[in-house]
Amino acid sequence: MTKYTSLLFIAGLSFLLFVIVGYLPIAENPMVAGKAILGSAQQEVGSANIVTSVVLAYRGLDTLGELSILFAAASVVGLLLGKSYSTDSVKTQKSGQAKEYKQFVVLKSLDLLFPMLLVVGMYIIVHGHLTPGGGFQGGVLLAVAFSMRSIVNPGSDKKNHYSITFIEGFAGFSFILIGVLALITDGNFLQPLLGKGEFGSLWSAGTLPLLYLAVGLKVGAELAGLLFELNGEEERV
Amino acid sequence: MNKMILLIALPLLAAFLIPVVAKFSATVSRLLGPVVLAFVLVFVALQWNVVGRDSFAIFLGGFLPPVGIVFYVDHFSLMFSAIIAAMLLVVWPWGQYTAIRQQSLYMLLAASSFGLVLSSDLFNLYVFYELLAVATYGLVANQPHKAAPAAALRYLFVSCAGSVMLLIGIGIIYTITGTLNIAHLATMIGKLHGLAGLSAFILIVVGAGVKAEMFPVNSWVPEVYGTSSKSLSALLAGLISKLAVVLILRVLLMLFQVDVVLDLLLVVGILGVLSGEMVAWRAKDVTRMLSFSSIAQLGLVFVALSLSGTIGLWLAVGLMLHHLLVKGGLFLLADSMPGSFNSLKGLARRSPILGAIFLIFIFSLLGIPPFPGFWIKLMLVINLAQQDDVLYQIAIGVVLFATVIEASYLFKLVRIMYQKNDENIIKPPQTSTSGMNLLYAKFFALIVVVSMPFVSPISDRLKDMSRQSVNAENYIETIMSQPKLGGQS
Amino acid sequence: MMSIEVTIENILYFGAISLSLIGLFGMMMLQNVFRILLSLVLLEAGANLLLVLSGVRIGGVAPIITEGMSAGVVMNDPVPQALVLTAIVIGVGIQALALALIFRVKRNYGTLDLRKIREKLEKDIAVSNEVSAPGSYQAPEKLTESTGANQ
Repeated sequence: MTKYTSLLFIAGLSFLLFVIVGYLPIAENPMVAGKAILGSAQQEVGSANIVTSVVLAYRGLDTLGELSILFAAASVVGLLLGKSYSTDSVKTQKSGQAKEYKQFVVLKSLDLLFPMLLVVGMYIIVHGHLTPGGGFQGGVLLAVAFSMRSIVNPGSDKKNHYSITFIEGFAGFSFILIGVLALITDGNFLQPLLGKGEFGSLWSAGTLPLLYLAVGLKVGAELAGLLFELNGEEERV
Repeated sequence: MNKMILLIALPLLAAFLIPVVAKFSATVSRLLGPVVLAFVLVFVALQWNVVGRDSFAIFLGGFLPPVGIVFYVDHFSLMFSAIIAAMLLVVWPWGQYTAIRQQSLYMLLAASSFGLVLSSDLFNLYVFYELLAVATYGLVANQPHKAAPAAALRYLFVSCAGSVMLLIGIGIIYTITGTLNIAHLATMIGKLHGLAGLSAFILIVVGAGVKAEMFPVNSWVPEVYGTSSKSLSALLAGLISKLAVVLILRVLLMLFQVDVVLDLLLVVGILGVLSGEMVAWRAKDVTRMLSFSSIAQLGLVFVALSLSGTIGLWLAVGLMLHHLLVKGGLFLLADSMPGSFNSLKGLARRSPILGAIFLIFIFSLLGIPPFPGFWIKLMLVINLAQQDDVLYQIAIGVVLFATVIEASYLFKLVRIMYQKNDENIIKPPQTSTSGMNLLYAKFFALIVVVSMPFVSPISDRLKDMSRQSVNAENYIETIMSQPKLGGQS
Repeated sequence: MMSIEVTIENILYFGAISLSLIGLFGMMMLQNVFRILLSLVLLEAGANLLLVLSGVRIGGVAPIITEGMSAGVVMNDPVPQALVLTAIVIGVGIQALALALIFRVKRNYGTLDLRKIREKLEKDIAVSNEVSAPGSYQAPEKLTESTGANQ
């Protein structure tokens, strides 16, 4: 019975959506907000990548909200899976050591890869206002760099949890701090500060690179935390 | 005025810092959340007179619409902010047993709730709605009940499918209009009233309806309330469901006062009332009964929303506030009434105060004269009767019929509670929170009783506020007509 | 208006909608919770595609101002791209959360079948409230009596 109602619902929805497409102005939507941003972004924000100016300046609050969602998700995963660490850690540690010996080649190449990933990740983060890329993409690379070892060899990085808590707290704090500083000096939350700089250079677009750095650190810390937790779980199930 | 943003920035800051501070001092980190909430309460109270008769808008980052995100502050958003802060303080997990990250989740919940009542930007509303959702999944999943993760998982699937519908709806609206600002959308309302715009709104209602316990998408309700602690259930049923309605309200009032939409809301509301009351009637324990009764009450809110304009908003907000007080209080009270109906035999004889509070709540819930619930139901029925559509006549019948069913199962419970029970007096098992929650329930009941003589001034005040909020011209003017924008257009 | 030409934009829209419908179909029809999660990923991907398509312009370029750029060049709408960036990250967070929940459910109930999970879930709730599970044929009085005797 439920199956038939679900099928009916999906059929209705698909019919509706396909009909709506006929009414949509495909590839020529009015783009009212988009045009206004394309016209004024260079003067108002001063970042070469206009998407970055939307993400961090025009819609900075969305980004803050999204960072909070990642933070919430990482917190919940930590709460859900973190409870049984103390009982199982001995077992995982042992099997971890045994594996380490076998995976000599993999671990050495990871050591080789680690600095490169770090450099590429940081490069992508700090050039977020100039090129496609930015805090999210770079943050994912950072997270991979730090959690690679634990993916190959689960349960080996217990002390990282402590630093992750600090980095995510600090990054979130600095994002809001930059916003509140703008509120105090200019009267508007998350308004770009520090002047525009020379257009197209690394030191341009005011506080945007700093914000992206905070975003990158936060995303990196949250994703690394998620990977650690989910990895530790795999060993136990 | 721009400092209103602190309502969101401060709770988020507290949420990020609580786990860090906890490494140094557990006491400070436990105090951080309540202090921020108390500050918000004071702050909102100070802002109340600043707003006065004129609402104002905040342009985040100083970017004027349509490009930036806009917050719109009127008396309704201030009132809801105060209620959110107060309600969160009531259900705050004071106990030492709660994990420190759970307190972070409560702060994130606070920030997203403030965002939902303040924001005037569709996508920003979506982001805050998702934040609210993730925080609630987390709180539900971390309950000590064995079934809690499973309930949270089923809740997550339903709710996520809903969120995607919401996102698709917003995407369609952006495609046809090219803007996300609700006030800006209100200036080009003609474009929205085509097939595409209306279906987008329906998608938005379905998406937000998941949290608002709307009729076809509420299968999560009994499971989640059944596994959660009573104070969390009070929060979810009392507050979070209302916030989802507030999201729908903003979009509905400003953009979609169309007959088709109103009829649809009415039908959904009627079905919600009927299905909720029917299942509640068959329930055999207090929690399940309250969960389905809450579905029915939110159905009533949707019925009220289907009345257009000021009246609809006024009734809907009245119903929501009443339901928040009564259902929140009942859930808190249910902490002292565990188990099936049979084990409650003679409970009211053993503790007369509990029985009296319970009676106050259910009298108001049913709408028995001097209690506030009566006046709201009366106004709802009167206003429904003034409409000349057949659907509205049916709605009156349903509302009255639902009240009869409600009376039948609530009084069944009252009879059990006042039964003589000599043979085996089992003391109800006390949970660690039931004493505290009983105190809060007493407080809620006191508010219900005290508000009785003031029903008329309160309702006048609410009507004024609704008039202010419904006024689309004022809304558009406050947000759109800024000096710098004159040159553009 | 209703005559649909076969252009690349139409095909993309068709694909995006189909993707989200496949996801929705999976969410409603499948019983394995992990497959439901994968369907959710598909659904979100479809919705994100739909959103990013709303900013497409014919012959448009990415909205990045570069040095040798001529004045008349058409740029795609930057807003949907920023929105999708946000939506994708939100999706990642929720998927990780769902995965963690699945781990916990597996540990508690030892199954990934949604029907069995639901059955056990309802039974657990009923037991904690000392009533019979809704829809079961056991007499409610009997069950409460037996739990009462246990106390």
